Amino acid sequence: MALGGTIRGKTTTLRLPTEADLDSYNRWTADMRVRRAHSVWHEPAMPATWKERFKEIAKDKQTVLWSIDAGESFIGFAVGHFWSMGNGFDLNHFVIDPDEWQKGYGADAALAFHRYLFDYLDVRVVTVDLRADNAAARRIAEKLGYAEFAHGHEVHYRDGAYVDELKLRMDKETWQERWNAEREYPPLAAEATN
Amino acid sequence: MLGPALPGEKGVALVPLTLEHFKLHGPWMLQPEVGRFWGPRFGEITDESAEKRYKEFADGKNSVNWTIAYLDEPVGFTGIFDIDWVRRDGESGIFIGRHDLFGRGIASEAIRLRTDFAWRELRMHRVHNWIANANRGSRRGNEKVGYKQMGLFARSFFRSGDWYDEWLGEAYPHTFPEQR
Repeated sequence: MALGGTIRGKTTTLRLPTEADLDSYNRWTADMRVRRAHSVWHEPAMPATWKERFKEIAKDKQTVLWSIDAGESFIGFAVGHFWSMGNGFDLNHFVIDPDEWQKGYGADAALAFHRYLFDYLDVRVVTVDLRADNAAARRIAEKLGYAEFAHGHEVHYRDGAYVDELKLRMDKETWQERWNAEREYPPLAAEATN
Repeated sequence: MLGPALPGEKGVALVPLTLEHFKLHGPWMLQPEVGRFWGPRFGEITDESAEKRYKEFADGKNSVNWTIAYLDEPVGFTGIFDIDWVRRDGESGIFIGRHDLFGRGIASEAIRLRTDFAWRELRMHRVHNWIANANRGSRRGNEKVGYKQMGLFARSFFRSGDWYDEWLGEAYPHTFPEQR
């Protein structure tokens, strides 16, 4: 029910996750580079626990999981939650393998993913929460068109100190203004509906 | 988990949530008088569902849940949810189901009791919430005990021809007023 399908970017592809991906989810969740940058989706756990988590999200009606590939390599995952009335989406986790950082995969996958949300699913607004010192994520979000709507103080704790949280939103109007040429499908031919 | 009994002023108290109280939530939430700043006014409102959800509330390790009592009658509910015990942060919420009792300061006293408990007993670092910006009574009740605005989510939901914004607040032990 809530495992995501294929969304193609230029260098990355979001695709249906499988149980074979769970070892990598666990490895990234346990990686302190990832944990410093993001809240984790789940804590590290034994394989049986990850299989249970996978079954649970597959049944969830509103939370959706995608795995992300770059070429033949499996490099990350995304998790988000559709609002109960269906017109908004909270992007909860967008994790790229830290060994693959700074190759542009995050930006490419994020653009393709937002095209899917606005151009295909027609959502009204997408939100994301970022740690205030996650400069790479902020750059990607700002380039996409996100704008800050709240600033929480001393929200996340790591490395012996609290860090602030930025709450960002991107509206459909912003997508249309900034990324109008980004369409999954070409315009219908004039005779298509004859 | 269920919160302990916290007697307050003006006949208001927070008491442990019971199944009988929990079964009142559904009917309360379906009334148009309370729906202006609340949910879609439909849901799985059955005894079976209430029993299942009550058990989840009672067994959960990351929330504290109370019934709001006024003159010993259940009139609403409040709690702190999605508590992260490492960050010591949680989201607070409140609902007065008895709309005939609006305007008596019940919510303000319940918020004071809940927030005091968060600092004195749970040793929390922060609580935060979302409130309809037009719900001045609720916003004011939270501000009185130290919640400060951290943001505004514009055009959050649409009712009767108008977009409603949501006010985002956060509070800390050091923003809590002196105890009376």
